[in-house]
Amino acid sequence: MADVSVVGQGIFLRGSIRGEGDLEIRGRIEGDVEVGGDVTIGEGALIKADVTARRITVRGAVAGNLAGEDGVRLEQGARVVGDVRGASIGIAEGALLRGNVQTGHAAEGQRGRGRAAAAARPTARPEPRKAPAVTVAAKGNGSPRRGAPASEERAGPPPPVVPALKKGARAALRKRSR
Amino acid sequence: MANTVIAHGITIEGELTSDEDVLIQGTLRGKLVSKDIVKVESGAVVEADISASSLSVGGQITGNVTASDRVDLMAGGRLIGDVKASRLTIADGASFKGNVDMDV
Amino acid sequence: MARASSSTSHAGSAILGKGAQIRGRIAGDGDLRVEGAISGDVALTGDLVVSDGAEIVADVQARAVVVEGVIEGDISATSSVAIRAKARVSGAIRGTSISIEEGANVSGRIDAEFDLPPELGGKSR
Repeated sequence: MADVSVVGQGIFLRGSIRGEGDLEIRGRIEGDVEVGGDVTIGEGALIKADVTARRITVRGAVAGNLAGEDGVRLEQGARVVGDVRGASIGIAEGALLRGNVQTGHAAEGQRGRGRAAAAARPTARPEPRKAPAVTVAAKGNGSPRRGAPASEERAGPPPPVVPALKKGARAALRKRSR
Repeated sequence: MANTVIAHGITIEGELTSDEDVLIQGTLRGKLVSKDIVKVESGAVVEADISASSLSVGGQITGNVTASDRVDLMAGGRLIGDVKASRLTIADGASFKGNVDMDV
Repeated sequence: MARASSSTSHAGSAILGKGAQIRGRIAGDGDLRVEGAISGDVALTGDLVVSDGAEIVADVQARAVVVEGVIEGDISATSSVAIRAKARVSGAIRGTSISIEEGANVSGRIDAEFDLPPELGGKSR
C-alpha cells in the first residue's frame, strides 16, 4: 500500500525518485521525479527536474517540465520555468510561470483549428509518463500566428467569420478540458 | 519522527545528502550521507553506502556503513558490507556479513 | 475586406453584443466587452472582457483581460490576465499577473518576468 513520502527541507538528492505513492518535496532535487501518486512541491523546495505524477501542486521553485495526468496547480509563491501539461491547469494569482501550457489529456492531442494545433506542437509528447532526463524547459515560440503558412486549415480562401459557438461545441469543449 | 521518509512504494536512485533524520521504508540505490539519524526499516531495501550519526538496520542493506555514533542491527535486519562505528549492536536474529572497525 | 475601426472618444465602455460579428480590427480608448465574434486584432487602452460564448480569432492588446470565451491569438495585457474556467485560449499570454482557473482549456505560452532562485540557475540577488 502506498504512503506519503517526504523529502525534507534538509535533503539534497542528485538522482531520481520513482514509484507509487504520494510525495511531498520540501528540499532540493536535481534529477527526475516520476511517481504514480500526487506530488506537492513545498514553498522552499528547489527542483531541477521534470516531474511527472497524477496531480502536481507547486508552491516552490521548479526548473523543469511538469506533467500531471489529473492536473497541475501552481499556487501563489510558485516559480516555474518549464512546460506545464495536465488535464486541467490552475495558476493562481502570484504564481509565476515561464513556459508552454497545454491542458487536456496527452493522448487527446489538439483537435482545435490550425492555430491551436500549431501552439500545441512544441509540447506534444507521445506518452505522459515518459519523462526525459533533466531538461530545463523554456521551449521556443509556441505562439501561433494568424495566417501561419504551416497551418493546414488555411489552404483555401480565408474562412468566414465564425458565429458564436455551434450547438454542442461547448459541451465538446468542456469534455476536452476535463 | 523523521523529517524525511522514503515510503514503501518509492525508489530513490542517486546521491542523497541530508541534514536531518531519514527513515527508509522503500528502496534506495546509490549513496546516503546524513548528518543525523538514519533508520532503515523492515521491508526497506538499500543498495548504497551510508554515512550517518547513527544507523538503525531493520531492513536490508548492501553497502558499507559509517556512523559517528552507533550502528544497531536489529532482529530481521540484514547487513552485507563493512561497518565503521564506535558502537555496534547486532541483535539475535540479525544477519551480518562484513568487516567491523570500531576504532573510529 | 471591410475594415471596422471603432474608437471611443471618452474612456467609456463598449459592448459587442451576442449576435454581432466583426471582421476587421478594433482599436479603442475605453473598455470593451465582447459577446459576439471578432476576427481581427483588438487593441485597447482599457480593459477587455471576452464573455462566455464570445470568440476572438486574432491577437488582443489591452490593459486587463478577462477571458470566459474563446481567444485564438496572443494576449498582451499591461495589467492582469484572468482566464476563467470556461475559457479556451490558444496563443501566447503576457501580463503583469496571469491566473488560470482549473477547467480552462489552454494551449500556448506564458512568459512572466521573474528569476528563479540562484540554485536553479536564476540570478542571485
